[in-house]
Amino acid sequence: MSINRRQFMKNAIAAGMAGTATMLGSRSAFSAVHDPVGEAQADLFRKFKGNVVLLPSKYGGYVQAMDLSTPETLAWYSYGLHGIDMPIPHHIAAMPSKDPYKGFDFYQTMQPPAAPYVNENSPEWRNRGDFKMFKMRYDGSGKQNSITVVNDIGETTGMSLGVHVSIGVGENANKYVAFADGQKDMVLITDIGDNPKIVKAFRADYDPVARQLNISHVFPDSTTGKFDYVGRKGMKTSHEAMLGEELMPADPTAVFVDAFTWHPTLPFGAILIRRLGCCAIVDTRTWEVVSLLSTAKGSPDNFPLVKQTGFTWTFAVPSVLTPLHEAGFVTSGEYFVACNNVLQNNIAVYRSTDENPNKWKKETFVEGFGTKYLPLHMGNVPDSRFAFFTMWARKPNNGYICKVDTKTWKVVAKWDTGPDPHTCDCTVDGKYMTTVYSGHQAGQSGLVVINIANDKIEARLPCPGGMHDHVVVPESWEGLKYSRSTSV
Amino acid sequence: MKIRASENRASGRIKSICVSMSAAALLALPAGAALADSKDGTFPTADQVGGQVYTDPVGVGKQLPLDFDAYDMDGKKVDLADAIAGKRSMVVFFISAVPVSVEELVKIENYARSRGKGINLVFVNADTVGSALQGGPKMAVPNTVKTMHLIKKEQKLQTRQLFVAPNDALSPTGVSNRLGFRGLPTSFVVDKNGVIEKVFVGPQDWNKKGAI
Repeated sequence: MSINRRQFMKNAIAAGMAGTATMLGSRSAFSAVHDPVGEAQADLFRKFKGNVVLLPSKYGGYVQAMDLSTPETLAWYSYGLHGIDMPIPHHIAAMPSKDPYKGFDFYQTMQPPAAPYVNENSPEWRNRGDFKMFKMRYDGSGKQNSITVVNDIGETTGMSLGVHVSIGVGENANKYVAFADGQKDMVLITDIGDNPKIVKAFRADYDPVARQLNISHVFPDSTTGKFDYVGRKGMKTSHEAMLGEELMPADPTAVFVDAFTWHPTLPFGAILIRRLGCCAIVDTRTWEVVSLLSTAKGSPDNFPLVKQTGFTWTFAVPSVLTPLHEAGFVTSGEYFVACNNVLQNNIAVYRSTDENPNKWKKETFVEGFGTKYLPLHMGNVPDSRFAFFTMWARKPNNGYICKVDTKTWKVVAKWDTGPDPHTCDCTVDGKYMTTVYSGHQAGQSGLVVINIANDKIEARLPCPGGMHDHVVVPESWEGLKYSRSTSV
Repeated sequence: MKIRASENRASGRIKSICVSMSAAALLALPAGAALADSKDGTFPTADQVGGQVYTDPVGVGKQLPLDFDAYDMDGKKVDLADAIAGKRSMVVFFISAVPVSVEELVKIENYARSRGKGINLVFVNADTVGSALQGGPKMAVPNTVKTMHLIKKEQKLQTRQLFVAPNDALSPTGVSNRLGFRGLPTSFVVDKNGVIEKVFVGPQDWNKKGAI
């Protein structure tokens, strides 16, 4: 039965509900976006209008789209509906949308449950979950919001990868999306269509005897047009490496490729290679590997290319002084920044303006994090004045978020937002930094909103289910430059 | 279902290596250093784990260190030195989380049977499987032993000497840092006195190898 506004008012007055009229603003509670006018929290959250936040629940198996300005969940989708037994929604990136309340597309990866925090590599768990990448769609154009699967990209391309996803910007805007996975050491680039086409794929393998890294193009089967890496095929290790696990024995060729990040102004992207503390810079015009940055303090700016044989680039990696986790570009593209961690906890800062990445030099390091706090993720702001970093810690420590001045490369503010902090992402107006913490997937967890100008925490919202990542839906391709694209 | 990825690893197999000296074998802990496995969440510094991410395995001519905790297939604590005492042996460290590691066990068994000259095989799982959802740390060894039984059954392993050696990669005294390996399998051929004769890092093309 539908209830129109007039009937609702009649019933309300008849029932003697004083003040009901004030509950009905320009959009009633029966429309797809709630108007909180008159509600106690309305004044606090109104300033976040225009920000829809996607929150994938690693442990809950769902993703929700949250209107930060109400706040309310606009829609949510359980990936179990796609037939996955124990889905682990992992990382996420959103396409730009002029009106995210009406609709937007986003990408979601997932991995099997033999993953960090769910690290149960025992017989009972072996067959559960899967590697997946989905193109998803939020529709808020009607009275019932919805999130639906547009494409199961792993099935479409024949390559299933489960870690970071990032969307091309700058010269690569409106063209490409990249997926990566450190259990397979692969990167896949596709176009952004609803039925994605393979653009290029890479695989990285380390030779510990020769101490060389081979980065190769991998090609789909010419008869099917697909790869043969669906599900667990191509997996080197049964679980994604936890922080510090770069030191663990693994497949000797394993390097833990984690992400691909896009230069905002030049035609380059970076393949992030955790275990080797390296970033392979790729020319996105030709997809050739043009440089291998070595981000550790005390190492050269880059490692030399030994040879190129066909579609394989071989680099000498004589020593690895520290692993890294994430690396990416500031919004302007002036700097490439790498989060070294475990053995060295510092942030390497390269100037990345030269059109020859082999000329990119480490100019400085952000330091002083000690041996308990690991630089992990990076969050950008529109004007590149600051960069935010997640400083992760294992139990019993919480970790923290810090704000770094990009003129001095010094920490100017820090917040203990809660245990097990993860990604940072800027609101569309550039005024606030959102960040999630997942309580080591078990305890305190939530979403925190930090005022970038005055360093005050403006809001904190509960967020159960192991939020390992989140993203604010950007409003434009320019806005995407400080979202899940230049950094992860 | 087998614990394996079905991928045919077409890229070249990693060659064997004989390392003359090991940084890991020379680890010197700074006095009072906070260890990685301490209760305060400290991560190790590079000098505590061999100077960098990749270290060389303990080398040829050195005594193979086996004085770390190990458990048999009943979950009982054992002395690994007893498993190789007086016998020329091949001690294979593997990890159940890595398909290529598990697959190598069968190949080594076949090779040892045909060209091993009666070598004594010892397989050591240098890992513990997850216990976070299955009873906590106290269940790590029992759960890993259970996995080992499954591997033995699924891979149809004949080797009787299968062990679990829990490893803390973040501790300077952890198995992987003591022995200096980051890639598994890593196999040590030792003489009857436990002195290393050969080291094999990674999967090998055993068909192309002569007798051990």
